[in-house]
Amino acid sequence: MSEDSTLVARALKGDGKAFEMIVRKYEQPLTNYLGRMTGEREAALDFAQEVFIKVYCSLKSYRPAYKFSTWLFKIASNHLIDHWRKKKLPTLSIDQPVDNEDCSLTPQVPDPGPSVARRFELAEIRQKIERALDAIPEAFRELFVLRHVNEFSYEEIADIKSLPVGTVKNRVFQAKEMLRKRMEGS
Amino acid sequence: MRDCRNAENFYLYLEEELDPSERREFEAHLARCPSCRDVLAERRLLHEAFTSLPPLDVPPDFALSVMDRILEAADEKAGWLAPLASGLAALVIGLLGFYILTGESLSDVLVAVCRSFGSGFGRLLPLLAKLLKIGGLLLDIASGFVMMLGKGLVALLSSLGPDGICLILGLGLVLSLLLFFGAKKLISLGEKT
Repeated sequence: MSEDSTLVARALKGDGKAFEMIVRKYEQPLTNYLGRMTGEREAALDFAQEVFIKVYCSLKSYRPAYKFSTWLFKIASNHLIDHWRKKKLPTLSIDQPVDNEDCSLTPQVPDPGPSVARRFELAEIRQKIERALDAIPEAFRELFVLRHVNEFSYEEIADIKSLPVGTVKNRVFQAKEMLRKRMEGS
Repeated sequence: MRDCRNAENFYLYLEEELDPSERREFEAHLARCPSCRDVLAERRLLHEAFTSLPPLDVPPDFALSVMDRILEAADEKAGWLAPLASGLAALVIGLLGFYILTGESLSDVLVAVCRSFGSGFGRLLPLLAKLLKIGGLLLDIASGFVMMLGKGLVALLSSLGPDGICLILGLGLVLSLLLFFGAKKLISLGEKT
């Protein structure tokens, strides 16, 4: 039985501390994912709270045969889809220009790279990526974020999104190409 | 060589997602293709940036606030139980009090309660019968009116002839289309506002 499954079993027996440990373990990756999907840190934190409450209410339906993180991100992804459907938020076109120079995300300072020049180069590229991310369609952005921010394998992403692995690989590739082309144009 | 055309392979190579034979083939191609080596160097830098995007700041008390919200939600869920429990408790106390004060057994009390409900229902029955009679009369009047309307319509159509009927049908169609699209526009305006 995995550590997550043990914590879930304890939470189901009414151990609040066990669920708090689950929240502490996943608050960072979930906020990273939701932050990149919403483009706002505060909104991401609100969503993360709602997702954890949904997870708590659905704990009985969790099957330990599945990876807990995959299950949690599936709930988070569906929560975002529901939100966008309710709000009827416009889907950004890939042809829409990247604007909003002062990025609304407030990332922590990254670890230094191997050299100062390369560090500056990487920092600049990361900033451009964060800005360009807002402008690519959600369907591509989400798969890119799950792969490169949350470091899920292509197979895990396929589970989360109920898509074939080949489709996931292709969409992540397309997302990267969209980002690259946007960054070249900026 | 397909690698020059397949841009996806550069990323899959960097992510170590190519199977061993594809990887060997790709590396062999790189060894003899300077332009692909340049592309790979650019993609490597991008890949490094993609995989090192910084984490977002999470407040230290985030987990506690989630637990508070969960407790609040649990309280709200249990909220409907309290009035139900207090209602039942009041009923039991009332019955017991009645038993203690009057000395009547609980079964007698229940029988008395049922009788009082029965007599109340008995008084309501004639009123319900009168309401049904009025309803029947109104239905009679409405059916007579509809019959009259139908006869009038048949007489009008027979006097108009086939051309007149076509004209009226056409006008009716245009009117209903106008009404439909007008209503649709009104609804969409309402949604926008």
